[in-house]
Amino acid sequence: MSTREVIDVSELPHHEFDTYDPVWWGNNFLLAIETSMFAILVATYFYLRQNFALWPPPVAQLTATLKPLPELGYGTANTILLVVSCIPMVLTDLSARRGDRRWSQIGLLIAVAVGFTALVLRSFEYAAVYFRWDSNAYGSVVWFLLGMHMLHLAVLTTEAVLLTIWVFTREYDMKHRVDIVTLAVYWYWVVGIWVLIYAVVYFTPRLG
Amino acid sequence: MSESQKAQKTAEAAEVSNFTISEEELAAAMERERGELEKTWARPTGVWGWLTDTDHKAIALRYIVTAFIFFVLGGLEAALMRIQLARPNNHFLSPDQYNQIFTVHGTTMMFLFAVPIMTALGIYLVPLMIGARDVAFPRVNLFGYYVYLIGGILLYAAFFLNTGPDAGWFAYVPLSSAYSPGKRVDIWAQMITFTELSALAGAVVIIGSVFKMRAPGMSINRLPLFVWAQLITSFMIIFAMPSVMLASGLLASDRLIDTHFFNPAEGGDPILYQHLFWFFGHPEVYIIFIPGLGFISPIIVAFARRKIFGYTAMVLSLISTGFIGFGLWVHHMFATPIPQMGQSFFTAASMVISIPTGVQIFCWIATLWGSRLNLKTPLLFVLGFFWVFVLGGLTGVMLASVPLDLQIHDTFFVVAHLHYVLIGGAVFPLFGAFYYWFPKWTGRLLSERAGRLNFWLMFIGFNLVFFPMHQLGLNGMPRRVYTYLPETGWSTLNLIASIGAFILASGVLVFIINVVWAYRAGMVAGDNPWAAESLEWAVSSPPPNFNFHNIPVVQGRYPLWEGIENAPVVRGLSTTKREALVTSVMDAQPELRFEIPGPSIWPLMVALSAAVMFIVGIFTPWAILTGAILAGIALTCWFFGDPNYENHTARETGKKSPTISPVSRPPELQPKEI
Amino acid sequence: MTSKTNTISRICQCLLALSVSSCGGIQNAVNPAGPQADSLSRLWWLMFTVCSVVFVLVLIAVLLALRNRTSEPPANTPPLLELPPEQQRRRRNAIISAVTVTAVILFVFLIVSYSAGRSLTADLAHKNGLTIDVTGHQWWWEVRYNDADASNIFTTANEIHIPVGVPVLFNLHGADVIHSFWVPNLGGKRDLIPGKNNSAWYQADKPGVFRGQCAEYCGLQHAQMALWIVAEPQDQFNAWRQSQTQTSMTPTTDSQKRGQQVFLSAPCVMCHAINGTPAGSNVGPNLTHIASRNTIAAATLSNTREHLAQWIKDSQSVKPGNKMPQNNLGEADLQALLDYLQSLK
Repeated sequence: MSTREVIDVSELPHHEFDTYDPVWWGNNFLLAIETSMFAILVATYFYLRQNFALWPPPVAQLTATLKPLPELGYGTANTILLVVSCIPMVLTDLSARRGDRRWSQIGLLIAVAVGFTALVLRSFEYAAVYFRWDSNAYGSVVWFLLGMHMLHLAVLTTEAVLLTIWVFTREYDMKHRVDIVTLAVYWYWVVGIWVLIYAVVYFTPRLG
Repeated sequence: MSESQKAQKTAEAAEVSNFTISEEELAAAMERERGELEKTWARPTGVWGWLTDTDHKAIALRYIVTAFIFFVLGGLEAALMRIQLARPNNHFLSPDQYNQIFTVHGTTMMFLFAVPIMTALGIYLVPLMIGARDVAFPRVNLFGYYVYLIGGILLYAAFFLNTGPDAGWFAYVPLSSAYSPGKRVDIWAQMITFTELSALAGAVVIIGSVFKMRAPGMSINRLPLFVWAQLITSFMIIFAMPSVMLASGLLASDRLIDTHFFNPAEGGDPILYQHLFWFFGHPEVYIIFIPGLGFISPIIVAFARRKIFGYTAMVLSLISTGFIGFGLWVHHMFATPIPQMGQSFFTAASMVISIPTGVQIFCWIATLWGSRLNLKTPLLFVLGFFWVFVLGGLTGVMLASVPLDLQIHDTFFVVAHLHYVLIGGAVFPLFGAFYYWFPKWTGRLLSERAGRLNFWLMFIGFNLVFFPMHQLGLNGMPRRVYTYLPETGWSTLNLIASIGAFILASGVLVFIINVVWAYRAGMVAGDNPWAAESLEWAVSSPPPNFNFHNIPVVQGRYPLWEGIENAPVVRGLSTTKREALVTSVMDAQPELRFEIPGPSIWPLMVALSAAVMFIVGIFTPWAILTGAILAGIALTCWFFGDPNYENHTARETGKKSPTISPVSRPPELQPKEI
Repeated sequence: MTSKTNTISRICQCLLALSVSSCGGIQNAVNPAGPQADSLSRLWWLMFTVCSVVFVLVLIAVLLALRNRTSEPPANTPPLLELPPEQQRRRRNAIISAVTVTAVILFVFLIVSYSAGRSLTADLAHKNGLTIDVTGHQWWWEVRYNDADASNIFTTANEIHIPVGVPVLFNLHGADVIHSFWVPNLGGKRDLIPGKNNSAWYQADKPGVFRGQCAEYCGLQHAQMALWIVAEPQDQFNAWRQSQTQTSMTPTTDSQKRGQQVFLSAPCVMCHAINGTPAGSNVGPNLTHIASRNTIAAATLSNTREHLAQWIKDSQSVKPGNKMPQNNLGEADLQALLDYLQSLK
């Protein structure tokens, strides 16, 4: 008869934050996929730029404006809103880690409000671009950049709404605290990738 | 605590104080546990069960059968093409039929057969090879299968209704945008969306599983080469698929909502499409080829009865192939007006990539050298790989040269090359893998005699079809032509190729017959018919639903050859709830007891909503909104519904990293089976 | 013999040769007729030879590795986890040598390939050659000979004449979808991409007829979009060019005159131009000198009266899906039209 050692795992937890949990990895791989997609879309933006002598291309009606740059107002407001919203999101993140249900609830409500506001501001950003998606290649790629990010804002807001409802009405258990932290990571990513897109869409044409 | 847990605790308490547990009682306790595990992990039955089953083995087998059906369909399309091309000025197929057929052939083989079947073998075998009870994300896995199935059905429904895409598997603009009226190319574009969603789902599942669900002791440098290949492929999928998503998405957008990404009149660029497509397209062939490399290593190791020569070099070769594979794509575009200096960079990269592949081939030869080899069918197919793939790789080096490529690009020389590398590098190893692992999946061995016949028919048939095509390309025959004039002199070689096609097809037929026969009447395989070294051979054939009763602690790269009988095992995973062990990424230290969701209808629901969004959305934009709402509801039920495990309040107390019990337990209580 | 008869007989000889050979041929990359194709052909033979040797060596290594075969099942052979260090070292060195040799071969290929590529364009850019604009249409080639003197510019279709020994620059454009211009005996292919300019240099070093074919899938009739390049001595080329710049032949006989009327009143005039008549559309090939061409329908049919009749009446039976509609002409009208067209030398 042979001796065999045993590892007893019966005391291990079921959920844990960050890299312990497979959900963290799954979430980050999805974000890696989306980051690749945006990176290629940004590369597309610069590739198409080579086909234009003037970028953005001139608009016929605006006789005084040869270079109709996208107007900064709504886009900048949205960017500031999103960047600032990371602060309450960090607080929500921390509250979930320490198990503070009250602060999680508050933080998620703020997140929902920010999400809806960002979506509304985004819908005004399309008008700040002087072209429609079907006007020319410039219009197409800028609308796509704004639009793909808007999809993410929509998903983010929906997720925040659902988690808010859960946190108010159901158990504040470990699994859902991990979910809140996962939402926070997604939030930071949506904001971070937006800063990149904002710079590309609103600022690179102003540079050269 | 359940009955059995109480019994177990009592037993363990007892043994510390007095050695009173007998072997019979131990065996009985293990039997009881096994019974409970079987109940807990039981597969759901009936139609509902079929729709909701999240067991990775069930899903993998479905993938394999579905992908094989597409392989046969793709082969039938090829047979039709070969009949048409056997004689000059042939009228067997009209130009429209031929163009649909070659498009659907390429699309089927690349998207509906090659990638899914590689994913499938990974999904079946990776959890077993790493000592896990299931994959990390079973419902995502099931979702991946459904979107794949829907994408395939979409393509073939369109094809049988004479609305099949006809712009080539790559669908270059402007042919596919402004010069393809109707829904044909829209269907192609959306099918791409489905198959790439499926591949992405599979990739996330595999990486998540390989990173987090390995048995304790399986540190990253002890990973089997099969698992390395699947891991690297999955990373490639993550970075390459978004590019084709954009290519097909922007194409659909240009067609349906009048964007101008590829319209030169409004600043768009047809070459942009080629960049987007090939940035995906080149890694795609490595996504297909690298898993094939992963099949060869275990087969060679098992038959050579030796560890692989140069494990580290093999791993680094796989990784570098994966990386360099992203730097080659412009070699598909040498005939476009991209400056030659830039193109030469891609020549260099396309040549350099053969070095890591060469390292692998040399290491395999070194492993085989001098060993006592029993030439069974899996090994025959591996030997076939050496012939076919090396030849294809060498013609690839020729194609890498920009000036030479300008002669042979878009000719039958390329058709020859691509089939030599894909069939040699992926299909031959795949058939070897079928013969090797079929016993594990079904419990029975395939017939050796039929296997040899299968191999030789495929090998001879394949070379007859594709070798003459090198000559045809040099003789001026372009690709994608539905006919040719008799004066060109291409008739004889084309006829030889067409005859070879039927020999190749008969080889596949022999395989199908072998499978159908062996499923019922093949020799019973037992756990480890090949006396192989990796963990999947430690469990029964086919494995129990829960894979491992007592997960072993791995102590080397070749667990079954390195004394698994004496290895420690993991105890403490529940038998009444579906639990799997989650371990750390680098060193596989136990970290969590992960709750594996049970059967669920939501993956199917999300897949159907995606179908509404993307398929009906071709016809009316309202479907996109409707589909999105349906998908949102289904996803909510998925993520917020009950996944068949209990909730736990607050942070749990308990150590995260249990130590191996310092005192070895008395012999009577050691579970013997894995 | 006129240059035209010369050409036809040359075509027939080449076709005959082609149908019995597979290494020679008029649409063949390893039967070079010019310096570019020659350079590429030599590159091909170098790579072919080296790669064949490598292939054979690898196969021999694999076969040698199988020497110690057995019919014992794997279970009967205990696994060997550690090779003796001597064997380990020897194999490691063998692999390192093999990889080094591979790297060296690839490096040589890279250099040879790059210099072959440079030779395709470097010298010729300085020489004063001929410039021809080729525009790819679904499914025919529009060919325009350029010149500084505007009276020397003319447009034809599907058949290109070039003087022997003179480098010709082809400017390539795509009108609708991507096509690819490829004449293997003379050189590699270049794509014709809508919205982009591409170019290729070809030079023929000996007289002959060379067949080319579209090499980028462009739709239904991609398979039947071929072209001829006729390389002839400079004086013959000058004569040909001279006749091509002339306006169209005026119809002399009654039948030809009737034929011209048929042409101008039928749908033909919607797509085809004949210089010197009111027909000026560029949708289809220019027919000003159609009778001077050896083939019709983008080198699908030889240019005989019977083929012309078939093409005019029912081009869909020859090239299903092509852009030319069927024409229901009465027999007398058709014969007159044929008389007219065959007079357009």
